[in-house]
Amino acid sequence: MATHEPSRYLARALPRAFAPSVRPQSSCWRRNASSQASSGQSSDPFSELEAGSSLGATVPEDVVKSFDPVKKARSRKVQLPRSRYQFRSPKYDRGPLHPHRPPPPSNPASRLFVPGPFSLPRVEQTWKTTIASDIMTLCYVHNPPGFIPPTKAPRLREWDDSSPYHRNRQLRGPRGGDVLRLLRKPITFNNIPEIERITIHSYVKQAAQESSAWLHVSGMAVQAISNARVETFKSKASVASWSLVPGKNTVAVKAELYGENMLHFMGKLIDVVLPRIKDWQGVKGTSGDSSGNITFGLEPEHVALFPEIEVNYDMYPPKMIPGCHITIHTSARTDKDARLLLSALGMPFHGKLVD
Amino acid sequence: MRLSPVLASLASVFRIPLRPTQSLGQPLPRSFSSTPSMAKKQAAPKDKKITMIRYFLWHPLTPRPLRFSRNRYLRHWTIHRAWQLYTSQQRRKGELELQRQWQAMSAACEELRTGAGDGGRLFRLSMNKKGVFRDMFPIEYGRLQTETPSKEGWNHAWKRIE
Repeated sequence: MATHEPSRYLARALPRAFAPSVRPQSSCWRRNASSQASSGQSSDPFSELEAGSSLGATVPEDVVKSFDPVKKARSRKVQLPRSRYQFRSPKYDRGPLHPHRPPPPSNPASRLFVPGPFSLPRVEQTWKTTIASDIMTLCYVHNPPGFIPPTKAPRLREWDDSSPYHRNRQLRGPRGGDVLRLLRKPITFNNIPEIERITIHSYVKQAAQESSAWLHVSGMAVQAISNARVETFKSKASVASWSLVPGKNTVAVKAELYGENMLHFMGKLIDVVLPRIKDWQGVKGTSGDSSGNITFGLEPEHVALFPEIEVNYDMYPPKMIPGCHITIHTSARTDKDARLLLSALGMPFHGKLVD
Repeated sequence: MRLSPVLASLASVFRIPLRPTQSLGQPLPRSFSSTPSMAKKQAAPKDKKITMIRYFLWHPLTPRPLRFSRNRYLRHWTIHRAWQLYTSQQRRKGELELQRQWQAMSAACEELRTGAGDGGRLFRLSMNKKGVFRDMFPIEYGRLQTETPSKEGWNHAWKRIE
């Protein structure tokens, strides 16, 4: 890795005080307040170890007699690969007809394998223990046994046969617009809304006007708060006053969060960042794309409140810290269910609620 | 340009090639173009913070895949499968618990509807969903669980000091 390579520029570039010192950094010992003082503990370093050992267990005599690894290996019909053999997953998946395909990402031998999760995020713990059953109880609608719901009108309407040209024509869309909304099923024990993924998106118009540093700093800030690699996007719109040309300027970064990253980000957002925003009323009630995804924006000074940015705030040029849009994708099919979930997680909503 | 202590220590730890910036006092090297805009562009000092951010942004940190010998890989795989099995059992347990709660609610509502003896008035009241999607959860409820709060949660014996 490049961090371990010695740098020939460094000695010249850095002032004398900042050059790497000969004395190794690891020699300075430090004790935190939470750890115990070493004075009393140094006398018996093995006090933390268990007294018993598994090596003292006895093995029955017949097992010892019958143990013959050479014979067992010879009796195998197909020999195992040698002990130092290492399976190496192919880099590319060449399709289902290829004889040699990479294992699924859940396999530890896969190149895409990500170990973990190694923690129980607070959002997940809260959702599993209280929020799921509470939302299920709140939304419970009792139907007596034998109840058959009344049939609704079809969402795609037929044409009335007033004209001979109506034959074999495609069905008409719903009234009031051609958009077919998602169907909301009643909430039961197997479709309780939960957070599926979170998208952090930041549009930096100065990246086109001034320099790419704006984009790099915003990408770094978004990566720092999200723990996920960002993607960059070119502009689609043509705005002459911002000197934007479609397909030319890279102006936006986006990070998609799943799983543990997403839950930790949600916890930080709810517990640390949002309560510290001055005069913040909450997410707008009109927010949402009417299929269960809620979006809100954060100003640059609010992004700077994230603990990852706050602890080394002077790593970032202060005027270049970006604002961002955060979209919370939930498994709910309507905005009202998504809002119910987010309010249970502690996110306030203000203003008129629009479903 | 002075670096802050944090930046300086980071630069020394990660050994970043910081190129010496052109200071404003030095005379610029003469170029063929005498356009004033070019000279103006060259004089702009580079921010070392941005240099370091660029360095870390493009720094490859992708680890190589795990490489183990046969036995060690088998141990790894066994532990992995056992953990997957355990988590799937936990998930299944949670789902069954939710299903049990839902069926208990259903049985209770059916009993309330037919066996309460008030002609289903209580049942109709309990099915009232007014304000569920309007008022939502109170903000006091929306609080992520922690290990630190006490089991009591509220000191009822507290009195204001006179």
